[in-house]
Amino acid sequence: MKNLHLKLTALAAAAAMVIGSVPAASVFADDKLSIAVTGGGESSMVLNTSLTSALNGLSTARHLFEGLYKLDANNELVLGQAEKVEISEDSLTWTFTLRDDATWSDGVAVKAADFVYGFDSLASNGGDYSSLVSGVVSSYEATDDKTLVLHLAFPCAYLPSILAFPSSYPLRQDIVEQYGESYATDPDMAVYNGPYALTGWAHESDLTLELRDDYYDADSISVGTIDWMLITEDSSALSSFESGDLIYSDMCPDEEKPRMEGNGLYYTSGNNNYCVMFNLGPNGNEVLKDAKVREALSLTIDRARIINIRGMNDEMGKTLAPSGFVNADGVDFTDYADPWVDTEDYEGNCEKAKALLAEAGYENGEGFPALRYIVSNDSRKEIAEAIVNDWKEVLGIDSITVEKVENFFASRSTGDYDLSYYGWFMDYTDLSNMFGIFVDTANANSFYDSADYTAAYTAAISTSDQAEQWENYKKCEQILAQDLPVSVILHSQNSYLFDDANYEGLVYSCGTFVFTYVTAK
Amino acid sequence: MQTLRYILKRILLAVLSLFVIITLTYFLMNLMPGDPFMSEKATEANRAILIAKYGLDQPVYVQYWRYLVNLLHGDMGTSFVLQKGRAVSTIITDSFLVSMRLGVRALLIAIFFGILLGCVAGLNKDKAADSVIRVITSLGISVPGYVLAAVLMMTLSVKLNLLPVSYKQAGGSVMPIITLAMYPTCYLARLTRASILEIMNQDFLRTERARGMSEFVVVFIHALKNSLIPVITYLGPLTASILTGGFVAESVFNVPGLGRYFVSSISSRDYTMILGVTIFYSALIVLMNLVCDILYKLVDPRITLE
Repeated sequence: MKNLHLKLTALAAAAAMVIGSVPAASVFADDKLSIAVTGGGESSMVLNTSLTSALNGLSTARHLFEGLYKLDANNELVLGQAEKVEISEDSLTWTFTLRDDATWSDGVAVKAADFVYGFDSLASNGGDYSSLVSGVVSSYEATDDKTLVLHLAFPCAYLPSILAFPSSYPLRQDIVEQYGESYATDPDMAVYNGPYALTGWAHESDLTLELRDDYYDADSISVGTIDWMLITEDSSALSSFESGDLIYSDMCPDEEKPRMEGNGLYYTSGNNNYCVMFNLGPNGNEVLKDAKVREALSLTIDRARIINIRGMNDEMGKTLAPSGFVNADGVDFTDYADPWVDTEDYEGNCEKAKALLAEAGYENGEGFPALRYIVSNDSRKEIAEAIVNDWKEVLGIDSITVEKVENFFASRSTGDYDLSYYGWFMDYTDLSNMFGIFVDTANANSFYDSADYTAAYTAAISTSDQAEQWENYKKCEQILAQDLPVSVILHSQNSYLFDDANYEGLVYSCGTFVFTYVTAK
Repeated sequence: MQTLRYILKRILLAVLSLFVIITLTYFLMNLMPGDPFMSEKATEANRAILIAKYGLDQPVYVQYWRYLVNLLHGDMGTSFVLQKGRAVSTIITDSFLVSMRLGVRALLIAIFFGILLGCVAGLNKDKAADSVIRVITSLGISVPGYVLAAVLMMTLSVKLNLLPVSYKQAGGSVMPIITLAMYPTCYLARLTRASILEIMNQDFLRTERARGMSEFVVVFIHALKNSLIPVITYLGPLTASILTGGFVAESVFNVPGLGRYFVSSISSRDYTMILGVTIFYSALIVLMNLVCDILYKLVDPRITLE
């Protein structure tokens, strides 16, 4: 039997050798920097700019392609593929002259027609941002290879923000038509006019972006190679960051954020809001169509407690727009607009809410119908349950159930809910992007429709005078605070991990990130 | 001849099974709420454009018929969401090769160590070795894959810095292989132990010992061979599942394999991917079961294939 054990041991040792494996590590021989980053998984990596909408794909597109404008190292909008722009006196005609040295990665010059084709594709392909350009620009034309003329529907001060956004980037018609559905799904199925070209794409694993020698500004860029990892698990991204494999991660598990503060975790303005949405459409419960009920529910939410539960440096939700928008006098818009709720007086709010609910016929919550409050994930469920608990404790309403639904967007879009999580993450830093959603996508936003609101919003975006614009946005806030299609709870902060001990120069804009200007310390 | 007829019959049955699976999957999938184009920022107008573009505005039976015709031409369509625009057949081929590379190694480890540990435990019934192996295998079966993966990552990568987190780096496949192999190794060990215990009391082994055969020959040639039938039964579906990867191991260690699509294709309503991975997995299961049936015959010639 002893002999048998020896043989078994020998066999075990031999089998252990089977585990040997492993691809070789990448080595980059270049005088430029090589960095590795992550911003999410493969499904967010759509590089056809007329269709892409996830932050990860948008960020990658900011490196591979370039629009008429771009973000510079100071996070300011500057001309990109355009050399100059002439704006007519009425601000309705913008004439762009393209740079002579702007080329695609196959050496072909970037033409004004590429922008025309890009705008046409954006409008017709059904992507999430299909109306980004057409919502502002009524017509456009390439008068010659280097001249692009845009005719605006209204004077639009935030046009540079739109034209720096990846959805408005140019597309090469011959390349798109050559690859059809497969366009930009592999490195050799696209050409690139940005600072980087895609040289590798191991699907579900990583992309390799390499600085183009023929990019007009290549000499001033330090990062030569970006290994863009496709990671879906927060914990894996954190582990890779902590082990030094990544210099940037868009993902960090919530429970690890306190530990990572001071160790590379950054919070930035989220440019978003986090709300409870009331279904005002035909499928919503009738009780929610009573403004008094909505106001009672809104007043009773203990926002300070919610922020405390989340523990993520959130900003109190006093207005639809988050802080960070400052006028010429240095006044923040959240201070300029009237707050929806006096967040300093929660007790007073609760008393008012009780009275409103009694007026609506549901004193102490008696007879309040059963409502369904849907959310999309566990963390939002936890917050929804805390809110429902407020309603139970203060108003006596115990007939609202929270449900995490599998296909949240389908339920919300079809109106299959009474209350729902709602949040809007801005795409570019202009207030129009926050207020426009209650005009453009009413089906996804409480089925709310208000002529007064639309008039105020239209007046705001139609003027280039900031004072007049803010006054109209203030009016938008007042109308929403009164109609309450949603109740704003908080504005969350975006967070990311960045190896600030060794690098600097990261540019971050509304959830998208640019590594082009990163340098080693 | 009888075996060949049996194999042909099984292949015909497999084609029928696949047809039923495709049909059921297609119609069940269409009963799910939502569609691939739902998103926070999608408007109804944009959704309508995309739905029309992919023919999802047609009646379901029309879509189903078109899918079958395309499938017969080897066209599984393109992914709607997960790798938008890429051919499903290409995605499955690429990712399966990755999963298979890991899976084969995990499978070999599972078979080898599982049977080895099962033998050691069975031959040392109620002794220390048996107790230790039973505790370890019980743990291995009970610990969920995501816990094991997280523990491995925290200890071997983050704390001890012995192995990289990412699969693509040197040594990066070790932890996914361990994660994939742990459960089947432990399960096979318990299965083998039970079989060995049953077979070791049989008269024919006593006869072999009396004929002067060494203990190694008695155990590995006679006892083990006869105790393998239940193990082979388990190996069929195990091989199919382990070769196609695992959702947990692939997600945690960022392995670009097929396993993650079994879950993500459904949650993202990527219809063509749901059908593609279902058809592929079903075909593999059917194939592996056929291989197992043939292995039965090799292990025990008394078994007839009918």
